[in-house]
Amino acid sequence: MKKQLLILPSLFFLFFLIIFFYLLIIDRNPSELPSTLLDKNVPKFETESLLKDEKFISSKEFGNEILLVNFFATWCKPCRDEHIYIKRFSNEKEIKVIGINYKDNPKKAIQWLKELGNPYTDVAVDKSGRIAIDWGVYGIPETFIVNSKGIIKYRHVGPVTKKIYKKINLIINESE
Amino acid sequence: MVPSLGNFALWLSLCFAILQFIISHKRISHFRSKLNSVAVNGLLLCVLISFFSLMYSYIVSDFSVMNVFQNSHTTKPLMYKVSAVWGNHEGSMLLWMLVLTIFNYFIFKLYNQTNSIFISKALETQAFIIIGFLLFTLLTSNPFERILPAQPNGLGFNPILQDPALAIHPPLLYIGYVGFSAAFSLSIATLSLRNNEKIPWYIYMKPFVIASWTFLTIGIAFGSVWAYYELGWGGWWFWDPVENASFMPWLLGTALLHSLIIVEKKKSLQSWVLLLSILAFLLSVVGTFLVRSGILTSVHTFALDPSRGIYILAFTALLGGYSLILFGLKSKKYIKNNYFSFFSKEGSILVNNILMVIVCATVFLGTIYPLLIEAFTNNKISVGEPYYNSTVVPIMIPAILVMGIGPMLSWGREDKSKIFKKIFPSILLTIIITVFIFLFYQSYNLIGIVGIILAFWIISNNFIILFQKIPNRSSGMIIAHLGIGLLILGITGSSVWQEEKIARMKINSEIKIKKYNIVFKEINEIRGPNYVALKGNFLVYDEKKTIITKLKPENRFYPITNNFTTEASIHTNLLRDLYIVLGEGNINDGWVVRIYYNPLVIWIWIGALTIFLGGIVSMTSNLEKLRRLSI
Amino acid sequence: MLTKDFILTKIFIIIVTICLTQFFSKNCFAVEPDEILQDQKQELRARNISKNIRCMICQNQSIDESNAPLARDLRILIRNKIKEGNNNEEIYIFLTDRYGDFILLKPPFKLSTLALWFLPFIFFIVGIFIVFWHNKKSKKILKDI
Repeated sequence: MKKQLLILPSLFFLFFLIIFFYLLIIDRNPSELPSTLLDKNVPKFETESLLKDEKFISSKEFGNEILLVNFFATWCKPCRDEHIYIKRFSNEKEIKVIGINYKDNPKKAIQWLKELGNPYTDVAVDKSGRIAIDWGVYGIPETFIVNSKGIIKYRHVGPVTKKIYKKINLIINESE
Repeated sequence: MVPSLGNFALWLSLCFAILQFIISHKRISHFRSKLNSVAVNGLLLCVLISFFSLMYSYIVSDFSVMNVFQNSHTTKPLMYKVSAVWGNHEGSMLLWMLVLTIFNYFIFKLYNQTNSIFISKALETQAFIIIGFLLFTLLTSNPFERILPAQPNGLGFNPILQDPALAIHPPLLYIGYVGFSAAFSLSIATLSLRNNEKIPWYIYMKPFVIASWTFLTIGIAFGSVWAYYELGWGGWWFWDPVENASFMPWLLGTALLHSLIIVEKKKSLQSWVLLLSILAFLLSVVGTFLVRSGILTSVHTFALDPSRGIYILAFTALLGGYSLILFGLKSKKYIKNNYFSFFSKEGSILVNNILMVIVCATVFLGTIYPLLIEAFTNNKISVGEPYYNSTVVPIMIPAILVMGIGPMLSWGREDKSKIFKKIFPSILLTIIITVFIFLFYQSYNLIGIVGIILAFWIISNNFIILFQKIPNRSSGMIIAHLGIGLLILGITGSSVWQEEKIARMKINSEIKIKKYNIVFKEINEIRGPNYVALKGNFLVYDEKKTIITKLKPENRFYPITNNFTTEASIHTNLLRDLYIVLGEGNINDGWVVRIYYNPLVIWIWIGALTIFLGGIVSMTSNLEKLRRLSI
Repeated sequence: MLTKDFILTKIFIIIVTICLTQFFSKNCFAVEPDEILQDQKQELRARNISKNIRCMICQNQSIDESNAPLARDLRILIRNKIKEGNNNEEIYIFLTDRYGDFILLKPPFKLSTLALWFLPFIFFIVGIFIVFWHNKKSKKILKDI
């Protein structure tokens, strides 16, 4: 064994140490997945609307102004918890929010919105969950920022917290 | 009162650890022995008091202790109150401390006049490790934190974790990979030796390495037993980062174990042993880091924050940096230019070493590659079972082939002509058995054939060694190797020839799997100590229409944690497991029923137990030998 | 250590866990009888593809084994795509377009994963070299003796 080779283990060790240290320092969530749809167009879909008589057509709703898309369901507790922030987006910040009701009972959803307040300009009904799959949704609630050109710019998995609320507002303000 | 005692004892143990660390620098040998004795014994006693204080708090359900509140409940059966002590992050750190201080005690037992400086250095290293983990525990993960006012009851605990195999899994596992700390400390002491000192360091290392490796084997096995029986789809290994974190020290431990034999006999491979001892424990510590730092998530990880991770990483950096640089600088003198041929006992062990290290490196690569990708690109990937099946399994094949021949070869060099004569009986036996099996079972599958051949290659070789009645043959080795053969048999059978039937069954309907007829007799609601359940009753008939067994799978609901679990019902015999799981359903549509036919599964557990027994036999004969040499 | 953040974090974890258990309250169990395709070959293809797709919710399982509703939806989607005539490649692309490479249990062959797939092979070659080099050196020592 050449003597220089003996120092190799410590060099490999140093390499991995740096990687681990870097990963600890940066702000990352190990269980959250980056969306593959970032900087891509909103998936096209057509489905029933929860609140209106006519159909929900994605090409009509997206591509006009910057807005939020919020996947929710009545059976999901964190959705209930974050609802106050969704309302604040709509009421206080006057941001248009579109809801997508995931694998839910439409009657229950209407009741839920009556009880908690409705921040959505419209709600698309995703009974089968297929729309969610097209958006790469895996853990509701999930919230997306879609810009005025219909491009997805940001996704958050899980309920909106104070920190995320601030972050979303920041991103929206910056793009205007 | 008791929790305060536990906390106090833990802080006191820090003092003893610091004392032990400082003593080694003193040149006064007379005092050193007494001071070391005080430090080592004081450490052990304090940690024992601390550990059992926590256990007491769990047993009496003292919910003023935050840790007990978070992880226990009055309705928990006693056994699981006890195992809850180490079933959480803070409590498991106490288990770390316990094993560290117990091994510390045994290192001190080796102390005598001639090796005082050497053992003191080992104790100093061990003390450093203990201090590192103690500080981590005391400052960031103290299990004795109080919650006031005391709560009336706890937050319960995940019911999937209330299982005997899982209860015993951590203590056994920790004796394993925490135990490698002793080999680590002895390695550091060896590298720090001055040239004039003649210490048989490898003789000191051996009992610790055998003990750690043996318990690591059975610890890992119990984890798999639990997964198979509890999780409900017949799997027992998932290449999860936490599982890999225990497998890597095992691989290096295997290489280390075998290399020690060579060092003892022929003084070759010394630098291998020193490096492997360092790396095995280092991997244990890195594994701890991966699991507890929050850097990756898996079902096994403790939910923690990155600030704790930075502490563990810093400690790992110090430990690893110091040991590997020391190795880089000082191991030169342990490289002996000893000759041995490829066809020799040493040669086969060298091949085994290299293959174990390659497998370990591959598992390490697969485990951290997602992290590397994340650091360099913004992408996330998975490295799952298919990767390890394509990489690790092929590398294991030559390792197993060599494992068969190795014990039969002579030291130094084997006459190539003699080799064939030695292995011919086992080749013949393997071929005969394999042909017989496939004539009988007629289920041809390439991987299956390879697996069966490898399994019986090992089994035949070891039976032949048994019958040769050569004196001084290590029976521990034969038993352990036999265990590996049985393990391969079990793994092959259950992976390759598993069959599954899924159906929706109404009451009194029937389903056929292999040669069995299974009738769904009835379904009942039952009540357990902390759950309610739906229990199905299935009668299993063989082709002669006789009842083999009744299978009773359950779907349980634990109201306290709002959890659902499925309890599979399993009938085992030497040839196969019949494994049935009850799904959802109702009286009108029937229930979803999943039935598995898992061949040879029990040989996995028998194999692991046999390896464990082999290790125990090795340990006892090794300790006998040491006693005779009056060390 | 009993800071507000700490308590909130713990409560959040409990809430998420409970929400996940609501997910499982239907207690479906992995592949269900009504999902199974008539055509055995197609069903086998579906099972093999599913075994390679990670369940995004219970992340230590493939969708073939998992209870989660999303796993079931994906299993059905895969079977539909097979019936529609898509080949395996197309199905994998469909899934990775939406969920990224993370959803594949077998890491893809890309520039970024070259090291992952080739290093074990390189380790093996290096290992063989070491054995041969050692053997050669040993023979030389023997000749010198």
